[in-house]
Amino acid sequence: MDNVCEEKVFNAIFNSNSKTIFNYIYYKYGNEEKAYDAVQEAFVKLWENCAKVAPEKAKAFVYKVANNLYLNVLKAEKVRLKYAEKALKTSSESPEFLMEEKEFKDKLDRALNSLPENQRTVFLLNRIDGKKYAEIAEMEGVSVKAIEKRMHLALKSLRAQIDGI
Amino acid sequence: MQENYLAKWLNNELSEEELAAFKRSEEYASYQKIVRASDALEAPSFDMEKALGDFKERQLNKETKVIKMRPAQYLMRIAAAVIVLFAATYFYIASLNETFSTEYAQRTEIVLPDASEVLLNAESELSYSERKWDSERKLSLDGEAFFKVAKGKKFTVTTDLGDVSVLGTQFNVESRKGFFEVTCYEGLVSVTFQGKVEELPAGTSFLVVNDRIVPTDAPLTAVPSWVNNESSFKSIPLTYVLNEFQRQYNVKVETKNVDLTQLFTGTFSNTNINLALQSISTPSQISYTLEKNKVLFYAENAP
Repeated sequence: MDNVCEEKVFNAIFNSNSKTIFNYIYYKYGNEEKAYDAVQEAFVKLWENCAKVAPEKAKAFVYKVANNLYLNVLKAEKVRLKYAEKALKTSSESPEFLMEEKEFKDKLDRALNSLPENQRTVFLLNRIDGKKYAEIAEMEGVSVKAIEKRMHLALKSLRAQIDGI
Repeated sequence: MQENYLAKWLNNELSEEELAAFKRSEEYASYQKIVRASDALEAPSFDMEKALGDFKERQLNKETKVIKMRPAQYLMRIAAAVIVLFAATYFYIASLNETFSTEYAQRTEIVLPDASEVLLNAESELSYSERKWDSERKLSLDGEAFFKVAKGKKFTVTTDLGDVSVLGTQFNVESRKGFFEVTCYEGLVSVTFQGKVEELPAGTSFLVVNDRIVPTDAPLTAVPSWVNNESSFKSIPLTYVLNEFQRQYNVKVETKNVDLTQLFTGTFSNTNINLALQSISTPSQISYTLEKNKVLFYAENAP
């Protein structure tokens, strides 16, 4: 039977979840260093408890540890997201359009940063990391419906901000 | 529109009618633009290899700290093993029998835990369990020994040929190949030989030669003659006499044309070999030559 204490199993869990944990914590607090530390912390805890945590529960375990780490401790900073280069390069639009697009992206950045942390996290996990609502629900420890609600509200506020409603 | 329709829309879960209605709405273009722009977003770079490397290094450092504790643990293990070994050895030794033995031309005196005394003649072995001694006064003998038994519980001497049990007395036991003699000097001795029990009062002997009980006279001395450095025999086949001589002097005895079954009555010294040789040869009418550690007895009138 697979055991998290086995290096092979442990490494697999690390490889498939570390990046998402990093992003998850970053979306919440906008702090790369802290996000990096959260990954370390989560896997240290997993390693310490490897005999007690079943491989199928390991994923939920590491997200919970990472999530609890800064709960009520860390103040959210501005989340800085880059735009994929290919998106900029492929645009052969006029300077006016590019300007407009740049403006739109700035608005989107601001709108994202003004979102409540839980809405931003859900929205970005879905759009950037391609996480399904069910997966996000598992990470956050809430129902899928709650995630859908956050997603809906996130989109709604983003539009309201950007369109200046 | 259903609840959370924006989330449903992103997940392609809207019904055709709902989707059509949504597309007709004025905000649709904005949402589409937001989603398209969002999909071009990237999270800060995360070096997974480095993260795993950092993690491993951290764990290694932690384990190094743990290793520091290990020498003590290691020593404790060794100490525990040593203690177990000592304890096991102690109990093993304690369970072992106490053994005394003599070589040729050797004699030793043993005091038993109950102050009983044992004089062990040449080439003999005596053993008993010191641990069990308090509950059972029992020892085994191979060879010859004179016992002065302190009064107390039953005292048993076991030999290959028979067992001797007493309560408190002085007696001599000789158990050699084919030869078994018990002489009681004081008190009462019971001898078990071939399943039969023989009561031996003071001043009597019990003798077995070649597995047959041989009637024998009362001993003349208060202690066995060998205790006083003499070996005495009364109608004993010469072969046993020569064996005893061999034991007392640690010399090799050879014979030539000598009738070893002839009975010998007499005494030889255990301290003066020339005197002893004369004591044996004269009454038996045989001659001898003594070389270094080697005696040859031969018949004078050899055919």
